[in-house]
Amino acid sequence: MIKLTRVFKTFDGGRSYAVKDLSLNVDRGETLVLLGSSGCGKTTTLKMVNRLIEPTKGIIEVSGKNVLDYNAVSLRRQIGYVFQGIGLFPHMTIEQNVEIVPRLLGWSTRSRRERIEELLDLVGLPAGSFAQRFPDELSGGQQQRVGVARALAANPAYLLMDEPFGALDALTRETLQQELLTLKNQLEKTIVFVTHDLHEAMLLGDRIAILHDGGLEQIGTKEDILNRPATQFVKDLFSIKRPRAWM
Amino acid sequence: MNIDALIAYVLQRLPELWLRTGEHLMLTGCSTLAAMFIGIPLGILIYQIKWLRGPIMGFIGILQTIPSLAMLVFLLALLKQIGAMPALIALTLYALLPIARNTLTGLEEVSAEIMEAAEGIGMHEYQQLMMVRIPLAAQVIAAGIRTAAVVGVGIATLSAFIGAGGLGQFINRGLALANTKLILLGAIPAAILALMVDFSIGAFEWALRPERKKDKKRSTKSFMRLPALMLPVALILVGIVTNFTKPDWISGLQASMDYGREVVRIGSKNFTEQLILGEIMAQLIEAKTDLIVQRRFNLGGTMICHGALINGEIDLYAEYTGTALTAILKHAVMTNPEKALHYVSKTYHRRFDLQWLKPFGFNNTYAITVRKADASQNNWNKISDLEKYANTLIAGFTAEFAERPDGYPGIRRIYRLHFGEVLDFDPSLMYEAIRNKKVDVICAFATDGRIAAYQLTPLKDDRKFFPPYYAAPVIREELLKAHPKLGDVLSRLGGRIDDAEMQHLNFEVDGKKRRIAEVVQEFLKSKEML
Repeated sequence: MIKLTRVFKTFDGGRSYAVKDLSLNVDRGETLVLLGSSGCGKTTTLKMVNRLIEPTKGIIEVSGKNVLDYNAVSLRRQIGYVFQGIGLFPHMTIEQNVEIVPRLLGWSTRSRRERIEELLDLVGLPAGSFAQRFPDELSGGQQQRVGVARALAANPAYLLMDEPFGALDALTRETLQQELLTLKNQLEKTIVFVTHDLHEAMLLGDRIAILHDGGLEQIGTKEDILNRPATQFVKDLFSIKRPRAWM
Repeated sequence: MNIDALIAYVLQRLPELWLRTGEHLMLTGCSTLAAMFIGIPLGILIYQIKWLRGPIMGFIGILQTIPSLAMLVFLLALLKQIGAMPALIALTLYALLPIARNTLTGLEEVSAEIMEAAEGIGMHEYQQLMMVRIPLAAQVIAAGIRTAAVVGVGIATLSAFIGAGGLGQFINRGLALANTKLILLGAIPAAILALMVDFSIGAFEWALRPERKKDKKRSTKSFMRLPALMLPVALILVGIVTNFTKPDWISGLQASMDYGREVVRIGSKNFTEQLILGEIMAQLIEAKTDLIVQRRFNLGGTMICHGALINGEIDLYAEYTGTALTAILKHAVMTNPEKALHYVSKTYHRRFDLQWLKPFGFNNTYAITVRKADASQNNWNKISDLEKYANTLIAGFTAEFAERPDGYPGIRRIYRLHFGEVLDFDPSLMYEAIRNKKVDVICAFATDGRIAAYQLTPLKDDRKFFPPYYAAPVIREELLKAHPKLGDVLSRLGGRIDDAEMQHLNFEVDGKKRRIAEVVQEFLKSKEML
């Protein structure tokens, strides 16, 4: 379970807010989508969870413990992270990329090897033909599958995904969205998923948190949000007048 | 020159060419390796500690701007030895800049996105550095090493100035003797070597790069990988092996061990007369004593020769009274030859434990020299005649003359000569310059054979400015005590070579391009000294 209580993040010595008085919680096994336009603070929020960024004020808890009480490195090894720019290590093979966290955790060669095969299978890249390749030999969609496999490698309870499909073409994106849907039902992870794509949010989120200017507009299931918009902003979001490309 | 003669020339020089190439490889290879071991950690250090960047990169940058000869002289003073060690250190210092700078740049240029991923998945800082940042910077670092090695091949030609050998030895000798063939014998292999070094490091890099599935010629790569990796290693090994199996080194060592014969090391500066004097002393000692002679000729100037002598790296060389007085002892000019000799031999004995033997006889003083045609047209006979014309004349001086107190600065003061332009030349090129009317006045050496051969006229030193430059053997007293006979043998040369004789010997070598050893042998025979 991830819980944020009155979290603030300011820049420029307090003059501008990235995140303003944000409280929310992500339940065990749930997928929460943080939805908002760029600059709304959604990526900052995600990075605060694994301490890539530290909050200015407020408390963030992971499994009931303040993240600041964790050793940052061991916290990060317990949380899988899928990056917006994919961020595979170009000098390592697919296999080496996937096994990096288990290696850091000191798993045996044999258990790493088994895990690699299992994971590459899971994301649809058979180890036999992909394990020894390098990232630049793969398409963007394939690379992000590897990114997902890497995040899942050490079997973390939590998965943070920062616009993972943002850079992909529409067709590939849809395929990967469908695959993630299957995957999350299969794996029972607690997932925080950041996107600016309304459609993606509706498809993947068990609940959706709508952020605007660093603050929370509304959090709830898609039915809640569609049927009972809490603010004018949320209402406008779904009005027909707004082109979908807004976000 | 036709092609057969060229091949014959190269074949005749082949053993030495091989040796010098080996030395050159050793110098370049070892210095580049040393610079890698220092430069890469240094680059990583200054990447980590930002405030060190300014001072360290600044310092390395300044090292780069020190002229190589100045660096060599400085290292000689510091290390008190000539040969490979100061050359290796100088080359290493020069190679540091490209390696350290590329290491820093390479580390800085790794994409922030990838580094965020490294941090985000839970790598410690040192793991981020070792597992991600450094491997990704490797190509840029390798490019720096490549630059350093290729530039190093070029700079290593200067090692010959302090007796470290290398292909520069041919170039120096060629320059000293104005012998284009010799210059090319050093310069062409050096250029080829630079290409080979570049290629070998490129091959090494290629072999280290992991194999890609999409590479069509996979099998070629696996097959060629080992040879490619071995290429630079092989080059360095060849260098080291050749360097430490040089024939004269082995024979010198064996001789001194097996037969109890001892070695005397003779030095010389890097111009023709010095090479001739060195060879004269060498042949005489070889003929009249049991000592083994090692020739450490062509050292890069007065300070390097003197430094080598007082540090016991050489045992003797021929020095000039005037040079000793002003350049080494920093004493004011003395115009009386006997007084000057007396003063330098007394001071050398007291200060350096060095002994001046009997001068050879000639006075190789500087001579302000013009073309004969100009002299007769303008009625120039003495230096003071130039005063009115000086600002319309172009002077060509050696770099040493341009700065020495008994050189141009003194001329300006005593004769009030301010030349329109002053160009610095290598000694041998200076004569070509006046002959081809590129300059009008030069600081010739009185004994140079080209004065007569090129129709030049030395002007009379009517204000007695130039100190006497009588040449004499200067020898370590320690050696002289151990081998008193050495003093007797060398003293036989006292007063036996006058100005005309020296001019003649110089011209045989400079003008007629004859081999020094042959000219010297002929001379000694004619004097019935062999």
